Amino acid sequence: MSGLEGIPIHIQTAPHAGANAQAILAELETALQALLDTGKEHSIDLRSLPLLPGELDYLQHTLGTGEVRVEIDALGKSDVRETAYRGVWWVAHYNTLDEVMAEFIEVSFCPDIVRAQRDDVRESLDALSARLAGNEE
Amino acid sequence: MSRRPTVAEQLARQGVSRRAFLKFCAAAASLMALPPSMAPAIAEALGKLRRPSVIWLSFQECTGCTESLTRSHTPTVESLIFDMISLDYHHTLQAAAGTAAEQAREDAMKEAGYLVLVDGSIPTRDGGIYSTIAGVTNLQMLKDALANAAAVVSIGTCAAYGGIPKADPNPTGAKSVQALMDEGLVPRKPVINVPGCPPIPTVITGVLAHYLTFGEIPELDSLGRPTMFYGDSIHDRCYRRPFYDQGMFAKTFDDEGARKGWCLFELGCKGPTTHNACATTKWNNGTSFPIESGHGCIGCSEPDFWDAGSFYTALSAPADPLTLATSATVAGAAIGVGMSFVNRAKKGAAKSGHETATLKDLEK
Repeated sequence: MSGLEGIPIHIQTAPHAGANAQAILAELETALQALLDTGKEHSIDLRSLPLLPGELDYLQHTLGTGEVRVEIDALGKSDVRETAYRGVWWVAHYNTLDEVMAEFIEVSFCPDIVRAQRDDVRESLDALSARLAGNEE
Repeated sequence: MSRRPTVAEQLARQGVSRRAFLKFCAAAASLMALPPSMAPAIAEALGKLRRPSVIWLSFQECTGCTESLTRSHTPTVESLIFDMISLDYHHTLQAAAGTAAEQAREDAMKEAGYLVLVDGSIPTRDGGIYSTIAGVTNLQMLKDALANAAAVVSIGTCAAYGGIPKADPNPTGAKSVQALMDEGLVPRKPVINVPGCPPIPTVITGVLAHYLTFGEIPELDSLGRPTMFYGDSIHDRCYRRPFYDQGMFAKTFDDEGARKGWCLFELGCKGPTTHNACATTKWNNGTSFPIESGHGCIGCSEPDFWDAGSFYTALSAPADPLTLATSATVAGAAIGVGMSFVNRAKKGAAKSGHETATLKDLEK
């Protein structure tokens, strides 16, 4: 017997299944409008919601896969994927043991985590300048 | 305190980028049940935070709470222990043993303002001799530790409410930390209760992260629990709630209803009277929680859960809201909401009442 498939239990989806996912889609619609109107970014923490079994898959399936996929390697991996709805991003943060630490749906032109951070850029400039000046090996 | 580096300095020293720090803060916000927009505020607060000293005292307990903590993954327990706090004493996790271990505890207590974490209840009968560490009773050790403490976090139902050691007939006279303060047996300090048997790992780290990040006690309910994790009942956030609202119940553990994942209320689920984050945070890295695995909630984060009747008897209802509770099992959403309201409002009454509702006795 391999995994749960071997156990003859069938989960019947509850009445109103998908209601939570529908609510999230409606929230994304509002957020996209706000992004266009005011540039305001939005983020939904998927772990804070009581999703029915299967609803997360439904949401992922409905939003689909877009053109951009970014893998970040910082304190473990992060996976940033644009969905088929441009401007809607699926962001998953993993720890060094590859366990999900947090999962968000973000609405923005580009998720903040992808950009280089100002203080890091300043340090890079200093490091590069020092190298050119021959102060570093 | 001034010689301790800030968390940001600590991370920078380890070559951690701001991007990684931002990711850490986003995960921390999720962990603390804060909106994602709070991540920058967390980053700022952590940038100034100096690693506070933490003393963890294990009394009458089974080590289940420590087991739970060491399985918390967000952030990893290593990063919590080594980056955010200075865990100066924990007799299960520390390397030191014997007199060296007790010396570490006494040294940590010299500098006021540390945080005390307690798991396990404290025996008081016969001078508290039923649980001692290095010849010192738990009661005396707690008294000493609280003298210069900033606050105390009671981890697990034993420390928060007495738990299983306090269960009838309570042979050791076990009491919770709060009860000892109320009786004037130990110094009074701010208490955060983090009950559960054990508490959800990420709830333990989330509460600690909140206190350490913002330096203040989070909002608490009437039983001293942080409302961010214990504000809703299991029932209110349960994915099986729609079945309850439509009167669709499993009657035994292997009937059609059980197989289809219907509501477990009649099989003794304590979800309606239990406040915890299991239904949303879940267990084992967010895999599932007891109800999702087909077993009702046993109410382990509530006071006296062990003495509150069988885990398999449908919730008792005190005489007053009895009619309401009974009709709720067959009626719709509106009454379901009323039911959880009654349960919350009449928690004390429900404890002493214990008149079984008209549902059949499932243990027969």
